[in-house]
Amino acid sequence: MYTDDTQEGFDNYNSYDDYSAHTGDPTLDEYNRQHFKMPELVKSFLVYFRNCVSEGLVFELQTLYEQSWPKLTEDYFEKRPWPEEAEVAALVDSDPVFMILYKELYYRHIYAKIQGGPTLEQRFNSFYNYCDLFNYILSAEEPVPLELPDLWLWELIDEFVYQFQSFAQYRARLQKKTPQDLKTLNSNNKVWNVLCVLNVLHSLVDKSNIRQQLEVYASGGDPDSVSGEFGSHSLYKMLGYFSLVGLLRLHSLLGDYYQAIKVLENIEVHKKSQYAHIPACQISTSYYVGFAYMMMRRYSDAIRTFSSILLYIQRTKQLFASKTYQHDQINKQTDQMYHLLAICLVLHPQCVDESIQQTLREKSYHEKMYKMQMGDLQEFENSFVYACPKFLSPCSPEIDCLPDDYSKEAIQHQTAVFMDEVAQQKMLPTIRSYLKLYTTLPLSKLANFMAQNNRNNDGKWDLDKETQNLMIHLLCFKHKMKNVVWSKGSSGLEGKFQSGSELDFYIDNDMIHIADTKVAHRYGDFFIRKILKFEDLNRKLRMLKI
Amino acid sequence: MAEAMKQTVATMLKGIERYNPDNLPTLERYVEIQSRENAYDLEANLAVLKLYQFNAHSFNADICGQILLKALTNLPHTDFILCKCLMSERQLQQEPINQIIYLADILEQCDFLMFWTRIHSLPELTQRITGFLDSIRKFVCHVVGITYQSIGRGKLAELLGDVDDSTLKHWIKKYGWKEESNLVFIANQDENIKTKNINEKIDFESVGAIMASCR
Repeated sequence: MYTDDTQEGFDNYNSYDDYSAHTGDPTLDEYNRQHFKMPELVKSFLVYFRNCVSEGLVFELQTLYEQSWPKLTEDYFEKRPWPEEAEVAALVDSDPVFMILYKELYYRHIYAKIQGGPTLEQRFNSFYNYCDLFNYILSAEEPVPLELPDLWLWELIDEFVYQFQSFAQYRARLQKKTPQDLKTLNSNNKVWNVLCVLNVLHSLVDKSNIRQQLEVYASGGDPDSVSGEFGSHSLYKMLGYFSLVGLLRLHSLLGDYYQAIKVLENIEVHKKSQYAHIPACQISTSYYVGFAYMMMRRYSDAIRTFSSILLYIQRTKQLFASKTYQHDQINKQTDQMYHLLAICLVLHPQCVDESIQQTLREKSYHEKMYKMQMGDLQEFENSFVYACPKFLSPCSPEIDCLPDDYSKEAIQHQTAVFMDEVAQQKMLPTIRSYLKLYTTLPLSKLANFMAQNNRNNDGKWDLDKETQNLMIHLLCFKHKMKNVVWSKGSSGLEGKFQSGSELDFYIDNDMIHIADTKVAHRYGDFFIRKILKFEDLNRKLRMLKI
Repeated sequence: MAEAMKQTVATMLKGIERYNPDNLPTLERYVEIQSRENAYDLEANLAVLKLYQFNAHSFNADICGQILLKALTNLPHTDFILCKCLMSERQLQQEPINQIIYLADILEQCDFLMFWTRIHSLPELTQRITGFLDSIRKFVCHVVGITYQSIGRGKLAELLGDVDDSTLKHWIKKYGWKEESNLVFIANQDENIKTKNINEKIDFESVGAIMASCR
């Protein structure tokens, strides 16, 4: 079989080793680039790749996409772009569909691997290539005869949104642009325009009837009954689904959390479904959903979303270990979600799964949580900035603005909104720590504690005034800890007001009555560890030879 | 009027049409109707802010201010934060938006006495929003309702903005609370707010299974 040959061949790449490294000398590099001959192996790969695309061999494509392409990239194109369009076109009879797909991979590789990132021209060309691809898919009279592996489709949509994001950031950094670049940017305002990106994603959603399909699926029916001519094809159906997640991401990047959650109507993020089989997509979905909930002060929902996906990641870690090119992204997002979860748990203490708790007890998270609990606002901000999405402003600055860096404005704004919220809740941890010690506590007594705690009053304070202040904080405590929590229904925006945090109280005239959550010592986990230790000891004993 | 417009507006918010700047005048008019008629449509208002986000030159501080005040009328929901996130730092600093931001901040911290003082010094800020003060009183009642089992009568009147006796009676009746001499009985909170105990339950069978696998 052909594959076996190529697979074997890929392992013999050593003979081409001369091609695979930079010399360190720029002129020599340039020489090499021009005289870089496409290795035979790459040639045969491309020809075979094209055949698989045109014959719709999805399983074969999956191997080529997930294994051969990254492997060849590693071997030959670690630091240089894949072969130019013209060179490849000659090999594949200029097959238009294959060339579009090839160029998508070609540019994606430039974005990911080439030092200095894509040039302005490459950004433009990649955009035009996406236009060609989506025009081909969307303007066809009948479903196009194209089938691609789901992972590829997901990464295609995700990359499309990513390149838009990357362009917006690039566009906002006016300070490093040459006059020529600025002129080009100004005369091409339609390229990577936010409306254009939204339009593509919405069109893919509409074309596939994915909303209707999800609605029927959620109510237990057969989605094919409403899928229509296009939506029954895997290509359209999955592109539609991934576009919803793409919209979730795009709305989040623009600070539109309401639309972000709304776009996922009829998708239950935690549930397994026939659409949810791409781990990277699941993880990304939970990250943005959890983040949006956190910003909406729906901490219970955020904590549920994060813990559920983090548990899933803990349990399936081995799965991702092999596919390194996805692994980096997943690891980063996992770490970000632990940070966000830590923030949520500081603001809204609540029981979470023991194994999640275990990770949060590790040094780096533990220290941060401790600082935040002690009211260290800088730590809140640092964790937030590290873990939040890379926000953008949809309107790029006018090119005649002062040549400044505008790319940070959006992230600063979202951070400021979040920090306002944190500042409003500043007194709650102190109050919580006092209340934890009692089951009933007179208002005046707590007011005394609070006054003593406040070192700015030189030991003099007016009890009435302190009680007055305490009342405000207590009302604030109740208000901030009572949030909308989702329990059922097709939209993640729905929910009822609940107090989900572990400590609660009420005031009866002048007396505070406190209700805490008491968690008995967890012996299950303890026993399991001891059992394993015992087993280990036993094994060692048996190995002993006396 | 507001009811009639709701339908027209709903079609403007579907799919990509939501981003059509031609709809902005209609949507802005809808905001003014909401202010006048004490109606509320968060989704339409967010769409206005979104259009401002995409078309910065059309930004209208007056409309935006009304949207923010309307968002406050829907406390304890976090609509105000959603609105804020769609704006820019520069817009938040404009008059009268910065005043509204300050109001929101003290309301979110439940410093109601401060809020009423502020409102009395700036009556024209919220005048155009029909029913604004009563909406805030509803929020006060919500917070009181989840915090207190019983509260001093004077205290409650103070939180509601130093209301007179008949107004106080009106709010007490509206929420089904009971007057007991100097106290107002809100609700029996014992039943909702009580200590929870979380215990782990492991039966012998499940431990047996683990033990069996260790040999």
